[in-house]
Amino acid sequence: MTKPKVASDWLCGCAGCHMSFLDIDERILQVVELVDLRATPITDLKEPDKDGVVVGILEGGIANTHNEHVAKQMRERCKILVALGDCAVFGGVPAMRNFFGAEAALQRAYVDAESNDSEGKIPCSPELAELTRVRAVSEVVKVDLHIPGCPPHADVIFYALAELAQGRIPEIKDDMLHWH
Amino acid sequence: MIKLTIDGKTIEAQEGTTVLKAAEEAGLYIPTLCNHPQLTPYGGCRMCMVDVEGARTLQPSCTMPAADGMVVNTHTDKVLNARKFVLTMIFSERNHFCMYCPVSDGDCELQNRAYDEEMTHWDLQPNWQPFEVDASHPFIILDNNRCILCRRCTRACGELVGNFTLGFEERGANSLLVADYNVPLGESTCISCGTCVQICPTGALIDRQSAYQGKEIEVDHHIGVCVECSVGCQRNVLTRDNRLVRIEGEWDAELNHGLLCDQGRFLPLEDDRGRLLTPLVRKDGSLKAATWEEALNTIAQGLGKGKGLAALASTRLPAEDLALFKSIFADNLHGELVTSLEEGKATASLAKLAEELGKPFESSLDNLKDTDAVLALELDLVEEHQVPGFFIKRQIPEGTTLVVADGKENKLAAHASVRLPLTAGEESSFLENLLQAIEGKSADEGLNRAAEVLKAAEKPCIIYGKTFAEKADAKALQHLLDLAEKLGAALIGVKGEANSMAAAQLGLEAPFTPNGYQSAYVLLGDEDPSQKLVKRLEEIPFVVVQAAYSSQASGSADVVLPVTMWAEQAGSYLSLDGRLQKLGQALDAPEGVLTSQAALIKVAEALAVDPDTDWKASLKARIPTVEMRED
Ligand code: SF4
Ligand code: SF4
Ligand code: SF4
Ligand code: SF4
Ligand code: FES
Repeated sequence: MTKPKVASDWLCGCAGCHMSFLDIDERILQVVELVDLRATPITDLKEPDKDGVVVGILEGGIANTHNEHVAKQMRERCKILVALGDCAVFGGVPAMRNFFGAEAALQRAYVDAESNDSEGKIPCSPELAELTRVRAVSEVVKVDLHIPGCPPHADVIFYALAELAQGRIPEIKDDMLHWH
Repeated sequence: MIKLTIDGKTIEAQEGTTVLKAAEEAGLYIPTLCNHPQLTPYGGCRMCMVDVEGARTLQPSCTMPAADGMVVNTHTDKVLNARKFVLTMIFSERNHFCMYCPVSDGDCELQNRAYDEEMTHWDLQPNWQPFEVDASHPFIILDNNRCILCRRCTRACGELVGNFTLGFEERGANSLLVADYNVPLGESTCISCGTCVQICPTGALIDRQSAYQGKEIEVDHHIGVCVECSVGCQRNVLTRDNRLVRIEGEWDAELNHGLLCDQGRFLPLEDDRGRLLTPLVRKDGSLKAATWEEALNTIAQGLGKGKGLAALASTRLPAEDLALFKSIFADNLHGELVTSLEEGKATASLAKLAEELGKPFESSLDNLKDTDAVLALELDLVEEHQVPGFFIKRQIPEGTTLVVADGKENKLAAHASVRLPLTAGEESSFLENLLQAIEGKSADEGLNRAAEVLKAAEKPCIIYGKTFAEKADAKALQHLLDLAEKLGAALIGVKGEANSMAAAQLGLEAPFTPNGYQSAYVLLGDEDPSQKLVKRLEEIPFVVVQAAYSSQASGSADVVLPVTMWAEQAGSYLSLDGRLQKLGQALDAPEGVLTSQAALIKVAEALAVDPDTDWKASLKARIPTVEMRED
């Protein structure tokens, strides 16, 4: 039997969910035995295979046009899309920005913040993605499995991966279910 | 009794009960949010919906009356879907970000309900409109972003506390929880009882002291009596890593059923007095750290006995300690003055009356819970002994009338329908005049109105404070008894500190007047010494202070023994209405600090006295003002 291909990426998050993934420690060996780990932010390959993967995992919410593109590409290239962590599931901490708007957030970060000198200005380049309202992944593309948690516990991530690897949809409930 | 079927199980229920209560009594679980056992059902959140056969739509079980023959299902797909829908609507009504909410993970009823329904997410967006956060209150933060409009807080503030501070500014989905006429909570009529915080199912009302300090699963619970006054409310003291995290009212307590006042709930956590951690002995004019042995030796040499010895104990201490104190200083050392720091002011006249009558004459505080008229004599239940004041205030909208007689400023009087002037020292003539009015022989309008109200009542109560107990002479007390008999009224004396009544039972009630005392032993515990005490002690050549905190009294003492504060010791407390209740140890004492009791035993050894330790027998040696009960 061929091992199912798994890819992951991060959007507007803090990398904490991927760190929690690494917290599964030596169980990573079991994961590698069960799945074919493809493009992830922590491996060399950066984009999910063109011919598709079985499981696509996204950390972080969708906060700009680049995040939108990555989410859509992942959706197109995977069978089962997993939203990993509160940012991906709900928008999370970065979504606090929605209370003020992107403009105000940029102004605060690059100009008004006490740590800026008088030269501080909002970066502006056509290469930069455009900020949007911060959204849950499911607002932009269809999500098949939500794993909340900030970050989800390593045990939960391991359980979910092991189930997905064996062709089952994990049941996130009881001790596995946390929104913090 | 009626019979109904819930989830295929036939159960019996009281007529007039709700489907929810019937189910709960039969051990069946229906999830709820706006409902609370202490509050009148409200039926606002729709979390508790059930399928009732024959009904077209789902019904909220918390308000639905149970009927004979009813068939109810709590687990149909329709019900389960409705629960998820209700929760989704609640979440998206406001802005819930559980990852940075202090009640997340176990302490939030909303979150827990959603976990129970196995919701990994919800399909609607949050509201995104920022709602007000009110952080103006010293102990409470109100974050309307997390409010689910369940109105438990407003109902608790009104129905339970009788304060009616909280209310809703009604603007549909934008309904906002506000204090008074939309003033900041910190500037409102709120009396900081904290009931709203305790009853809020979410993180909308949180207390500043314990936010992020420990979740329910991380803390230890210690249920015991409150030591802040003689009412004897039951508290739930939450600790973590030998630190106080929070104090809650014990919902299951018979008297206070969850209620506390600010003094019992918030103020103990604000205590920032400096701790005494080692014995101190005065050498060459200044206090120096010493060993327990040195300190005890100095006491053995300096403390006299018999005439010239004064001993005073705090009535915040357990009855066991007070009895031991009495045995050592009165029965063994025959001190000239052996008394409590309250000097019996709130109890001595009442205790004497009980002895003369040969039986108790006062009644339980429970009488206040369904009284229709209250006469409060020289007592401000808004300022002190507050929880019985809640019992009265909350019944006023239902027609209970309050008569307040006082000569001082009295905040309870704001809730009274009759206010009468009563100058301290004139209790006897006041009560005589009131008796006259009751017999229809008075021309005084106020007295006549009071008499009318009290006479019309079916369950009147007369409650009196420390000033009354201190100033009332034998004649006044006789009038009080006559009045109670004429009206069929329950008498309740509030007394003073937590163990005022225990001190009275032990006869620790003599006044502390200057008398050329040569030495004094002060069992201060964690009490803050009064200025008067500090001054009196200055006149005495040799003073021992046994205390938890450093104060002017310890600073001017000759020997200081470091002892525990309330949470570090265990013991019994006799409430103002005779309930003997326990307080367990919640915290470990700092190294080298003894409980007051252990310190007393060491002192007794050093003085070569062998005290009697049957404290319960000592408590019962005197006829009490109100029957003593143990639970
Ligand atoms: S859910 Fe928490 S840990 Fe994960 S990316 Fe967001 S902020 Fe970081
Ligand atoms: S109140 Fe409850 S549901 Fe709302 S943010 Fe806090 S933990 Fe989450
Ligand atoms: S603390 Fe007490 S008085 Fe103040 S708003 Fe809450 S329930 Fe009302
Ligand atoms: S503040 Fe709390 S108790 Fe009050 S209505 Fe909102 S959620 Fe309910
Ligand atoms: S619990 Fe019944 S409607 Fe809220």
